[in-house]
Amino acid sequence: MSNEEDTSAFELRARELLRDSVDNLDAATRSRLTQSRHAALAARGTRPSWLDLRVLAPGGAVAAAALVAVLLWGLPSHHALKESGSALDDLELLADSDGYELSQEPDLEFIEWAAAMSEMDPVGT
Amino acid sequence: MLTCPALAASATLLTDLTASPQGGAFLSATADPAVQTLNGFLAEVERKAFRMAQMALRHDEDALDAVQDAMLQLARRYSSRPSAEWRPLFYRILENRIRDLQRRRTVRGRIMAWVPWRGDAEETEADPVERAPDPAPGPAAQAEGGQIGTALQHAISLLPARQREAFLLRNLEGLDVAETARAMGCSEGSVKTHYSRAVHSLREQLSEFMT
Repeated sequence: MSNEEDTSAFELRARELLRDSVDNLDAATRSRLTQSRHAALAARGTRPSWLDLRVLAPGGAVAAAALVAVLLWGLPSHHALKESGSALDDLELLADSDGYELSQEPDLEFIEWAAAMSEMDPVGT
Repeated sequence: MLTCPALAASATLLTDLTASPQGGAFLSATADPAVQTLNGFLAEVERKAFRMAQMALRHDEDALDAVQDAMLQLARRYSSRPSAEWRPLFYRILENRIRDLQRRRTVRGRIMAWVPWRGDAEETEADPVERAPDPAPGPAAQAEGGQIGTALQHAISLLPARQREAFLLRNLEGLDVAETARAMGCSEGSVKTHYSRAVHSLREQLSEFMT
């Protein structure tokens, strides 16, 4: 028997077995398929409803993902918080004129005292 | 009493859910020949489509969902097209739906494996159909046990998707090469290649039991 004939016999047998499997489908499944067909015929030529959850679900998932992305993007990072903190300190110093002057003027008394101490005890014992 | 024709038609549908495959009672509610033609076509393909989806998905409920969605899409979008175009269109829609379901299973499995607060492990395990070892004996063992039909279906379900599709469209639906190419959205040469590989693979496993 040639390979081609052998394949052909194999295919014929396969077709027969597959046809049997279709013919022997159980009653419950046949009933479900009939229901589905009737639903399809009733929906013929109509558009899917916007209230259909299966239509809305992918859109809802995308919207939720976008919302999370926006929230994550909008939240200030740790670095940004530190930066904003130092900027507030600067602003406070600028607004408080006394504080700014104090921070700019040298503490003469302390310098004099330190110089005197170092003369009295040069090695720092 | 006020009666709405659409409601009356729906009531007829609901009371006829277990009607014959030819949908006699439903068709008695409408004399539209276009509906009758579509009904005849769907009745002819629905069982074969179910077997195809069942072999691809290895899950009866998913297979029923896939067939239902394919029928709905064909009726909604393409029922106005010439009926000669329905068959390849229907099988193309069905195969796309099967792929969607397979992808959804995979994604669901990945998400559930990652989610730390998942409760019932049985429900949340990643793609149990794919991951669980197949408890059934292999195709050859099934064939030896006299279950040649089951063995063939099992062997087909293990084929790569395109080979499975080509083999079933040719041998279960009876499409020729050109129609199969339209249904699969590829060239006739590709169909021949996929088909030949499928036959070779199946013959290797089952030829001694089937000839």
